[in-house]
Amino acid sequence: MPNLGQLTLAIALILALYSIAANIIGARRGTPDLIVSARHAIWAMTAMVLIAAISLWVGLLTSDFSLEYVASYSSTTLPTVYKITALWGGQQGSLLLWTLLLSTFASIVAFQNRRRNPEIAPYALAVMAIVAVFFLGMLNFVTRPFDLLAVRPLEGSDLNPLLQNYWMAIHPPSLYTGYVSTTVPFAFASAALITGRLDETWIRTTRRWAVFSWFFLTLGNMFGARWAYEVLGWGGYWAWDPVENAAFMPWLVMTAYLHSVMIQERKDMLKVWNLALIGLAFFLTLFGTFITRSGVISSVHSFTQSGLGPYFLTFLILVVLVFIAGLLYRVPDLRSPAEFESYLSREAAFLFNNLILVGIAFAVFWGTIFPVLSEAVRGVKITVGPPFFNRVNGPLALGLIFLMGVGPLIAWRRMTVKNLAAQFAAPAVIGVITGLVLYGVELTQWYVLTAVSLVAFVAATIAVEFGRGVTARRHMVHESTPRALANLVSKNNRRYGGYVIHIGVILAFIGIVGSSFFRVEVKKSVKPGESIAVGPYMLRFQTLTPLNTPHLESASAGLEVTRDGKHVATMYPAKLYYKKPQQPATRVAIRSTPLYDLYVVLAGIDDQSGMATFQIFLTPLVFWLWAGGLVMVIGTVIAMWPNVRERAAIAEVFARNKEQVAAEPAPGGK
Amino acid sequence: MSLRRGFTSAAAFAILLFVMSPVRAATTVDDTAQGLTCQCGCGLTVANCNMPTCGFSVPMREEIAAMIDKGMDRPAIISFYRKKYGEKVLSAPTTEGFNLLAWIMPFAAIIAGGGLIVMVLGRWRSETPASPARSESMPAIDPKLRERLDAEVKQEL
Repeated sequence: MPNLGQLTLAIALILALYSIAANIIGARRGTPDLIVSARHAIWAMTAMVLIAAISLWVGLLTSDFSLEYVASYSSTTLPTVYKITALWGGQQGSLLLWTLLLSTFASIVAFQNRRRNPEIAPYALAVMAIVAVFFLGMLNFVTRPFDLLAVRPLEGSDLNPLLQNYWMAIHPPSLYTGYVSTTVPFAFASAALITGRLDETWIRTTRRWAVFSWFFLTLGNMFGARWAYEVLGWGGYWAWDPVENAAFMPWLVMTAYLHSVMIQERKDMLKVWNLALIGLAFFLTLFGTFITRSGVISSVHSFTQSGLGPYFLTFLILVVLVFIAGLLYRVPDLRSPAEFESYLSREAAFLFNNLILVGIAFAVFWGTIFPVLSEAVRGVKITVGPPFFNRVNGPLALGLIFLMGVGPLIAWRRMTVKNLAAQFAAPAVIGVITGLVLYGVELTQWYVLTAVSLVAFVAATIAVEFGRGVTARRHMVHESTPRALANLVSKNNRRYGGYVIHIGVILAFIGIVGSSFFRVEVKKSVKPGESIAVGPYMLRFQTLTPLNTPHLESASAGLEVTRDGKHVATMYPAKLYYKKPQQPATRVAIRSTPLYDLYVVLAGIDDQSGMATFQIFLTPLVFWLWAGGLVMVIGTVIAMWPNVRERAAIAEVFARNKEQVAAEPAPGGK
Repeated sequence: MSLRRGFTSAAAFAILLFVMSPVRAATTVDDTAQGLTCQCGCGLTVANCNMPTCGFSVPMREEIAAMIDKGMDRPAIISFYRKKYGEKVLSAPTTEGFNLLAWIMPFAAIIAGGGLIVMVLGRWRSETPASPARSESMPAIDPKLRERLDAEVKQEL
């Protein structure tokens, strides 16, 4: 199996190289046979990478410790699910997963475009194949997943305990899917620059891919935050760690792109800007991988490091230079007659939304690289941590939330001040009243007051939009309110799916504000039978239960939680000790309600006195962060779902393809 | 225009000052420890490092509590650790010298970007002929045409 794996990676590299040449030559000379063979090469490459991934999985599942990778990231006692997820537990496996996703997406793109976009699709596939060549080159020559050990150990070193968590089963694949799928719009944007076909084709072709990428970046960030919340045991979910920042930046830029692309679709403007945003998003996904894998910037999420840094940096620089050169070369062709009438317009609101989103991305990027810069310039190592990011991004986030309220209600082209006042009067009054109520109940922190008022304002603007749409349908087609709402959303799914995503964002923002400003922490050592009071809860330490398995030792504390004397729950925080890597770990216990999360960490055990030390966090509203994430997912699914017109168009394309296939001569009949 | 520019600059400066100098209440262990970075390799602040046996954050939190009991305030405690471990122990860059760039750049970039947008939009606006806004009165539509339009819209709905 190891030989098969490495062999298939070598074949995949050759196929990727062939696909680049065949796509480019085929497109330049107009030779369909070459383009078809390039497409087949992409599919064969995917099959080869899949076989390599399966080979590594087989090695992990059979504990084949002759493989250095398996010996480093698995053990005989590792639960089967984590043997599977160990594929992305280490350097080589992560890159293999990246390559598998990339080649799969390239295959899908090749299939989707087999009968359309003949001018740009071959170039887009060539660009995807170039990216694949880089990763396959790494897997073949720099960081090989199938390297064998001279002496086969009896036991493996095991997977890092922090990665032995179910969120780790889904967080890296989700994030990688988001990262890698930005390659598709990037490849089509590059193809548009190469061919000079700078119309809407590349945007139309990759519209769903861009939303797909944003969707998985959202999931990846959310799952990562949840993993940190459950595993790192400090009661928080986001520490502005370089790797977290690296995942957040492409999300911000893709969010900006999804908004600004609407201006191009509607008004044929911002062509340069949209191309630049896609280039930037792709650059940031590579930058994220570079940070994780190079060790240039230390991170709590960076579980593996190697000598990949210089190669990645070179590739990054090349990508940036070539893309910028292409963009500059095409700038004269990208100019379009600008139609802009007023600063009081949706176009202007979207542009300022873009400014803030890209501004936050820049602030995060700047803060992430500043330690490296400081060391290079002054020779002094410094840390740029949460206080910096919170202070810089906090006010910017408020601006973004405000624009989220403005965008939906402001008209395209222009709006009079009178009309503006009429549109925003009710939401503004609701926002102000919310602020006054909060002030009345002595929530006087300026940030909290402003944030919650703005959230109320945004919620009101969304409600107004839904209300108007439903009312119009009820009057026009005499539908009942629920039916009008359902039809409104299903027939304008992109727009209303977007609003649902906005609802998700404000819910998540409420969760972030609540959990950041009002968290209560108690740390106390108690004997069995004693209690700890936290907010409205009383936690009574009952017993300590030890457990010993071949994989780990653990001590689990039973805590009875009561409120006003009534039993609420029994929680079991635990201390774990993983035997193979000889590492301690913590399993937190969380009781989540819409109002509070009760988060309990077993911080220490004194064997002699029988006392246990508990660190308990009472975190308000954090529930809404995860709920907001779920709402964003629902909104994205609504926005991506083909509506009635699109379904009809897809059916038509299928029918046409069927007719074409029937009309084509049978193979060999030429 | 110069008045607007002056106002924008003053507002930006005020935001920057506000962001860089947070108002603080009484000194607490948690607030002080948030200003310091744990050096155990976890990458978290001393307040957030949760490794039970951490040789850095656990004793440091106890030391901070003792210093507060002695009457030291947050800046004095932070300054003490800065002298002891160097700048790397601070969880945010200082606001002096080269480090000032860390704070200024994000806002400078956004203000420059905003200025650029305003400039470009201004140019585009001067090139675009104005059209009537939505709220302005529209000429009356022929009833027959209106009827036909309504029927078409209903079909679409």
